[in-house]
Amino acid sequence: MHTEALKELLYKIADDLLIIGHRNSEWTGLGPLLEEDIAFSSMAQDKIGQSYVVFQMLNNLGEQAPDTVAFTRNANQFHNCQLVELPNQEYDFSLIRHFLFDTADALRWEMLSHSTYEPLAQLAKKIKGELRYHTMHANTWVKQLGSATEESISRLQNSLNVAMPYALGIFEESPFEDEIISAGIFAGEQELKNRWLKKVEEVINQTQLNLPDLKIITPLVGGRVGKHTEHLQPLLDEMSEVFRIDPTAEW
Amino acid sequence: MQLQLFSILKSLDPRITRLPQVGEVKPKQPLDQLGTFEVFVQAKEGKPFQHEGCVHAPTLEMAYVLAKETFTRRFTCTSIYVVDTRDVFVSPTTEGNQSAYELISSNFQTGSKETYEIYQLAKRGKQHVNVGSVEAGSPKEAMWLAKDLFGAGKMVYNIWAIKKNKIRYTTTEEKDLWNTLPEKKFRDASDYKGGDKLKEFLERQKI
Repeated sequence: MHTEALKELLYKIADDLLIIGHRNSEWTGLGPLLEEDIAFSSMAQDKIGQSYVVFQMLNNLGEQAPDTVAFTRNANQFHNCQLVELPNQEYDFSLIRHFLFDTADALRWEMLSHSTYEPLAQLAKKIKGELRYHTMHANTWVKQLGSATEESISRLQNSLNVAMPYALGIFEESPFEDEIISAGIFAGEQELKNRWLKKVEEVINQTQLNLPDLKIITPLVGGRVGKHTEHLQPLLDEMSEVFRIDPTAEW
Repeated sequence: MQLQLFSILKSLDPRITRLPQVGEVKPKQPLDQLGTFEVFVQAKEGKPFQHEGCVHAPTLEMAYVLAKETFTRRFTCTSIYVVDTRDVFVSPTTEGNQSAYELISSNFQTGSKETYEIYQLAKRGKQHVNVGSVEAGSPKEAMWLAKDLFGAGKMVYNIWAIKKNKIRYTTTEEKDLWNTLPEKKFRDASDYKGGDKLKEFLERQKI
């Protein structure tokens, strides 16, 4: 019953969460202030925890165990969007990416809370609180720095301009789009994109930032079918270093 | 000796400057860096809010966001609230020989009535705990009124009064912030059993 379509959906969700979780965890110990370091690291842990549950769902559908799937695939076998694999750069970029990605992520789970695939609907309800915090955190920072000083505003604006083509890549459609929608598993990437745009505009309009004109931006797609930037493989090498030395190691 | 003590109390270390000072009712002194905001946590429904510490933040709203993760990412929690440190009014502190309420004189200003939340320190080294609220025209009047309502027969070392409308509360809608994946043991350092693993590793090296 729609197994291939479902797996495609689950892999892209799990891979997005694993990769953004790993990227954001790179800020641990380096955050701009102690409280933010704690909050950002904690949200990174949430993402990894959520990806683990989705990898377990895949395991139940006949895929390999979560650790094997997370640590032994090569970059071209990952289905995350390119936005999440980009290096952290400075904090303004990490914040804007967090804002653009988590707005989409929270809406995706909100849509999945009505999924006919029961494990997804249940997980969506369980992580609602975590997602509320992640978007609240992102929105509050963007509103704060997006209206603070000339430097903070121009930094966020530059990052927004750089991130936007990648952010549109979140909504790259799958070959199973019609099947997944008609089966009531997920209402589809186009619907998600429309909701996302509304939310993003709502926050940006409360700042001195300008949303880039989406009509003249070409979305950077490919991530969902294993085409990635040169930044993903080094991330995977680092993330799987311990596992590759000793697959039985516990840490 | 006196001079030495003075220089310690002027330390930038917040653990030292946070020590309450004996004197008149006055706003709590701000710390360094960004402004500070006091964080209060309710561990369970029906329990009183308790002061847990403070966060640095540019605004009250940012303080709320940072406080949530700084103070409640590990333990059960149903609600938090934050307030600008400068909005916390602090009574003189006693050494347990008399209640702090005895040091509040009836010589206070009054004005239009507002709601003040009242907090008591029941023991040195413990946290201030919310005991209820009063309608008063000034922080000192609030403490004066709290004496009969909340202070009777108790040894109270220190009293705080905070205007209710200065507090950033958790809304009913936001309460699901603490409705998260239950399995959070990976956040406790003890769950990694680092010592045990090191011991095992060293045992293996011997063989």
